[in-house]
Amino acid sequence: MVFLSLAQIDLPPLPQLALDAYPPAAREAVSRAHQIATARPTDAEAVGTLARVLHAWDQWGAAHDTYVRAQALAPRAFEWQYLDGLALQRLARHAEAAGHFDEALQRSPGYLPARVKLAESLLESGSLDRAEPLFEALRREPASEPAAELGLGRIAAAKGQHGAAVTHLERAVALFPEWGAAYYALALSYRALGRREDAQRALERNAQYGPIWPAQNDSVFATVTALRDDAQTNLQRGLKLADAGDLAGAIAAHEAALARDPSIAQAHVNLISLYGRTQDWARAEQHYRAVVAIGFNLDEAHYDYGVLLGLQERWGPAAEAYRQAIAINPRHALAHNNLGQILERDRRFDEAAAAYRQAVDSQPAFRLGRFNLGRMLLALGRTDEAIVELEKLIQPRDAEVPRYLFALATAHVRAGHRAEGIKWATDAKQLALEHGQRELAAAIERDLARLK
Amino acid sequence: MSSRWLRRAHRYARPELVEGRVEGLTTSAVTAAALALLALLTTAGGARPSPSASDPLFVESAAATGLVFTHVNGATGKYYLPEMMGAGVALFDFDNDGDLDVFLVQSGAIDAGGSAPAACHLFRNDLTVSPDGTRTLRFTDVTKQAGISVRGYGMGAAVGDYDNDGYLDLFVTAFGATTLLHNNGDGTFTDVTRQAGVGDTLWSTSAAFFDYDRDGYLDLFVARYVDFTPGANRQCSDPVGARDYCSPRAYRPVPDRLFRNDGRGHFVDVTERAGITRADGAGLGVVSGDYNGDGWLDLYVSNDGGANQLWINRRDGTFVDEGLISGSALSAAGNPEGSMGIASGDFDLDGDEDLFVTNIVGETSVLYVNDGRGNFEDARARSGLARFTAAFTGFGTDWIDYDNDGWPDLFAANGAVNIVEAQRGQPSPYRMRNQLFHNLAGRQFEETSAAAGPAFGRAETGRGAAFGDIDNDGDVDIVVTNNNGPARLLLNQAAARSHWLQIRLDQRPGNRFAIGAWVGVERTGRPTLWRRVRTDGSYLSASDVRVHVGLGSSAAVGAVVVQWPDGQRERWTGLTGDRLVTLRRGTGRP
Repeated sequence: MVFLSLAQIDLPPLPQLALDAYPPAAREAVSRAHQIATARPTDAEAVGTLARVLHAWDQWGAAHDTYVRAQALAPRAFEWQYLDGLALQRLARHAEAAGHFDEALQRSPGYLPARVKLAESLLESGSLDRAEPLFEALRREPASEPAAELGLGRIAAAKGQHGAAVTHLERAVALFPEWGAAYYALALSYRALGRREDAQRALERNAQYGPIWPAQNDSVFATVTALRDDAQTNLQRGLKLADAGDLAGAIAAHEAALARDPSIAQAHVNLISLYGRTQDWARAEQHYRAVVAIGFNLDEAHYDYGVLLGLQERWGPAAEAYRQAIAINPRHALAHNNLGQILERDRRFDEAAAAYRQAVDSQPAFRLGRFNLGRMLLALGRTDEAIVELEKLIQPRDAEVPRYLFALATAHVRAGHRAEGIKWATDAKQLALEHGQRELAAAIERDLARLK
Repeated sequence: MSSRWLRRAHRYARPELVEGRVEGLTTSAVTAAALALLALLTTAGGARPSPSASDPLFVESAAATGLVFTHVNGATGKYYLPEMMGAGVALFDFDNDGDLDVFLVQSGAIDAGGSAPAACHLFRNDLTVSPDGTRTLRFTDVTKQAGISVRGYGMGAAVGDYDNDGYLDLFVTAFGATTLLHNNGDGTFTDVTRQAGVGDTLWSTSAAFFDYDRDGYLDLFVARYVDFTPGANRQCSDPVGARDYCSPRAYRPVPDRLFRNDGRGHFVDVTERAGITRADGAGLGVVSGDYNGDGWLDLYVSNDGGANQLWINRRDGTFVDEGLISGSALSAAGNPEGSMGIASGDFDLDGDEDLFVTNIVGETSVLYVNDGRGNFEDARARSGLARFTAAFTGFGTDWIDYDNDGWPDLFAANGAVNIVEAQRGQPSPYRMRNQLFHNLAGRQFEETSAAAGPAFGRAETGRGAAFGDIDNDGDVDIVVTNNNGPARLLLNQAAARSHWLQIRLDQRPGNRFAIGAWVGVERTGRPTLWRRVRTDGSYLSASDVRVHVGLGSSAAVGAVVVQWPDGQRERWTGLTGDRLVTLRRGTGRP
């Protein structure tokens, strides 16, 4: 008995949790696990379960403290070391995380996600020499090869070996073509090698794909994520499903979120659009009314309602919805733009141009809005002004640009600048072909033939 | 019709004049009269009692000196985003009496509801130095006498002499109307916002006075944040579902603005013409510097939750954003970060300006090391700064050589924007302690917060920070602002053992304080210490326009080289340390 008490004294304490300050769903989930862990303070599973629950609710500091106790109680267990490493990664304590992944791998050397996480943590903490052989070994595993190539590319770049870095990083994006992070690293190595155009293209890909990262099956971490089924979790799941194009799944997840907490304005706002996309006007309207009653995210609600009404070709009410969005947020560029389109439809070109002008003044980088402004100025015969606006759209030379260049060419021709028009139209056609826009290229060719 | 259907549920610085005669000055050449003059013209410095190793590096002295100011954020439980972001501070010598005065920005209430809005305050520095060298620092609130009545929901402050009359003017940013206060030179200010044409009603944050077109007049860059309005307030929650402040990603960024000074007391909005609208972001910090080494001033803008921008000056009135290609826009993993404050300076003494950007907790603040051509390496890990900053949300920051050893160190004012897990259920659960990092010969940093004194152990909601030698004792002091809390004055006690030099530039005609000049202090056998004359950087704040360099164990100065804002160079020799010198343009050697 004396021995047991001493052991308990040496154990790291369970974290102090202000459970009363948690909202109900989190309080219920954490309290339950906390009570069990408090009742069985030397039971590694009970303590580890509390750590998992805290981890699931993104309470990484408290989770880490609890994992440490679980590790002390079960020194041979893999999972508490591994999950602690993950929690520490989220706290950007990469060197400590690496230590825990290392420990975890001593207990279960074959667990691939832990091997990847160890190498990544070492890289992030600046331990390049230790990370490099680990990534080399991971290249041989198909499931971890993309991560290994990115890691090796970043290490080579950090050592100034940009040729080698490019080789690794090009391989990484070949394996996972939507990897924004790899394109960014690639761009910086291209730049270091003086390959500026390649670098720009890679940066465009980075902008296109952003934070998309190759998924990895992690059954151990899945035991953490599975612990949550609250409103926010369902909302996030709904967003992912919507991004993936699964409208039915997205709607179900959003409705599940609202079943748990009907006051989440964002869920209602998203359902306006989701039901709109499925042409379930009545339900969409119902969620619009709900969010207006809640009183948050109102500019977005009115905007989305405007889109909904537009889809039903109810142009008058749609215009009114956009005006309501603008009244709440005068810099709502999208609402100005869409209002402009309705005004254009009514052939109120001066007012439409003014609305498009408001859109681009609110958000100067809003290219569609500026394109519409350019178009409208052209329609009004204000070709010089149209040229000024359309010229602002020629960079970056992405897939959107061919139609902008075509409009610019048209503006020049109408302004009597035939040679300029031909120049821009030729450029537009070439770029359209580069982007696989054959129909647009053909249309430009027809106009070019007439001009020539 | 465009239908953007789904959005993420984002949880989310009295000049002493050394003119004309200093060039070629050597001890053997100078006359006794000139030596006497020089003695009169330099601020008392030199011998000071040395602190013991256990003395704190900084002593918090706000209340003791009369610098009593508490920021009010007006929070009412509606979680309006502006409540969490303010406010800033400016350190500048408004009355040209040779010491730094303090302007503190106030916020107040967003839904004022009939109550009188809170006001910004100006504190005059009434520093006295007795014959035995004892310094008595005392601040007097002169807001009323100065005619300052800035009453919007204030955010930040910028300082520069836009009309070249020799008195520093003040620009105040806000969630709401901005204000340009002209310094009348008689201790008062006049609101000239309307006639100057710099009015703005959107949410502006940090601002910078700099002369981008080299016409001798300071232009103005204003960073702006997001399109938040109370009516469009979003509902956000923290990871456990409790109501919390939204990330800026819940709103749309508002484009920054660039105003060109026409030299007649008026500014022209050249934002679009200069190309500044080609990239946007939720701007929080701005600093000017020559990042690609072409002699022209560029801009670096930190954006919260989006790619940072490196606006390279194309020398034709336009700028191009090279943030991404330069490697200074994103994390090494290619992700935008929650960037707030900026420190720009030559920390590794290789003659170019490097950047330290404070980020949000869990991301780590970042050190971008410049290769001299405007290419940057993310060195947060190898410098050790990532490890020290991971648990903090940083705001105000600057390179300050707090121990005068010649190597620029770092200070970061910290405070959360979302509930701190361990403070849940407590009032104002956004508190973090500030940090101090010592530069280890330009290679790595060590955290010295523990030795910095009790002020660094106190957790508050740090925001703005301004830097300068407030008590004129030869070291850099700090004023820190806290969101919804008291301003703090951190008086440096650390640098007494080492030597120093302070330089004030005087350029006539033109940009009188030579903001943008690049000053090099040459030392035999040691790297030149380069400093930019600026008031910008940090977060929502403006720092002393004087240049301060630590000289370490030797007061000897080989020469001082000044590259003026128009690119011309001059050189002064015969200067020694432990004094403030004013170098007037045209009195050095080419």
